[in-house]
Amino acid sequence: MRSAFAAMFVLTVAVPVRATVLIGADLGQLAHDAVAIARGRVAAVDAQWTPDRRAIETLVTLEVDTYLKGALGGTVQFLVPGGSLGRYRSIVVGAPQFAVDDRVVVFLGARGPSVPYVVGFSQGVFRVVRSGDGSTWLVTPPAPMPSAAPVPVTIVRGDPQRRPLPLNDFEQRVRALAGGAR
Amino acid sequence: MSSWFDGLTTSGIPLIRRLSEIPLTRRLSQIPLILSLSKDERRRAVAMLLTGLCILSHLQPAFAYVKFGVRVGGQTVTLKWAQTPARYFVTDASVPGVTATDLQGALGRAFASWQGVPTSAISYQLGGFTNARPGDEDGLSTIGFRNRPDLDRVLGSTSFLVDNTTGALLESDIFFNASFAWSVASNGEAGKFDLESIALHEIGHFSGLGHSAIGETELRPDGGRRVLAAEAVMFPIAYSAGTVTGRTLRPDDIAGISDIYPDGGFATATGSLSGRVTKNGQGLFGAHIVAFDPGDGTMVGNFALNAQGEFSMAGLRPGPHVVRVEPIDDADLDSFFDPNRNVDIDFRVTYFDGLVIVPRGADSGSIEIKVVQK
Repeated sequence: MRSAFAAMFVLTVAVPVRATVLIGADLGQLAHDAVAIARGRVAAVDAQWTPDRRAIETLVTLEVDTYLKGALGGTVQFLVPGGSLGRYRSIVVGAPQFAVDDRVVVFLGARGPSVPYVVGFSQGVFRVVRSGDGSTWLVTPPAPMPSAAPVPVTIVRGDPQRRPLPLNDFEQRVRALAGGAR
Repeated sequence: MSSWFDGLTTSGIPLIRRLSEIPLTRRLSQIPLILSLSKDERRRAVAMLLTGLCILSHLQPAFAYVKFGVRVGGQTVTLKWAQTPARYFVTDASVPGVTATDLQGALGRAFASWQGVPTSAISYQLGGFTNARPGDEDGLSTIGFRNRPDLDRVLGSTSFLVDNTTGALLESDIFFNASFAWSVASNGEAGKFDLESIALHEIGHFSGLGHSAIGETELRPDGGRRVLAAEAVMFPIAYSAGTVTGRTLRPDDIAGISDIYPDGGFATATGSLSGRVTKNGQGLFGAHIVAFDPGDGTMVGNFALNAQGEFSMAGLRPGPHVVRVEPIDDADLDSFFDPNRNVDIDFRVTYFDGLVIVPRGADSGSIEIKVVQK
């Protein structure tokens, strides 16, 4: 019996840290709130101390393929909280994480002259991945599109219609939403 | 959350597995009856049983906890306090409507809720007020307000300082975003977020719990997503401002904290259910598996967390369970998984073709659930 329990709790494994408590956003709100929406490849991820040297943050460098809203140059840098420096790792739960060569669409905010940040924490990052057969680029997760209905619409998990969007379709919708469409 | 049962009528007829291995209770007496019915009668009976579960699921709490871990030397180490009580400090800063004393009071109630779980050994200790800031890497676990307008949709967040070489948890801070309006009123206040509710969620993280996926949202005609129901404090999206619904731990949260810091008879009184999710013969990473207990209407959930699609759920009440597999296609995946993991969400909701018996103090034995592409 004891061995059965040991196996049970080994299998009940832990997962990497991801968490915070958010106000849920749809794609229209994210597009409205962002000053720039960029699609590109992550070229560098550099952890550093904050200017007051009291916390760790990570500077992400994105080589931009295209902007769906605004324009901040061919290469844009933005900050996310947390990072790993030497012996210590600062994990800000819920903060998006990036790795070199990730392909992403990021919704960026900015206040004054500061380095841009990701709007909506992890809600403002969409991953661009190859389809299973490698024939096309898809955006995941399926974005919560704003509801056109006059009444609330329940999001049903497992809805067969909800699938990762082809990149072109996603970009068309984001451009329309950024232009004020709902 | 009725949507969890959508597609129910296409599921197969449940069968009893290894009935001889468990002590049947009176709750199970209905199941042999189902097996004696004709095919159509069985379909109707099962539909009625599961419809009943749908109703119960609105009334009864559910399980679906996930534990935090960090990668150290190629291994995942569970993130938890090595010693308890876990000591925390409260900032002496206030925000409109919430004094530092109010903050301490709301935190004290939220910590007491977690500490009061009878099957968990976790405990906490207030170290006092501090003028340190939450988020500073200073060796103190600090909780308080910070004005972070750049974190425009973040009500609160928890951070950890971890030793990269050992995975040891050195410090954990919680901040509440002062950019929002907050309340500590006993019944809540319109337009203000309930501090105790958000604190309860963040203290779950502080203690090592990740997010639960058991919750349901809706898209609002005026924009945004609103939580319709969440059977776990650890659901990642907050209830709307003005409500105090999130002040009460659910069995989901209780099972999670008990799993990380077990006490009493938690382990010996429960059982586990394990198995594998496959698509086209290959293991499927990231599937969400939910076990429904017909006896009390509770749900237990977890994810398939390796390339083989293997999963295990501990802390289940012994007895039969209906098992459902679903894609997390309505959520921000980064809220649950490492972004470098290839989470497959392109498959249909699927029920295991039979009831799975969870024995007391042991595991069900591995089951395989085959899913197909949407």
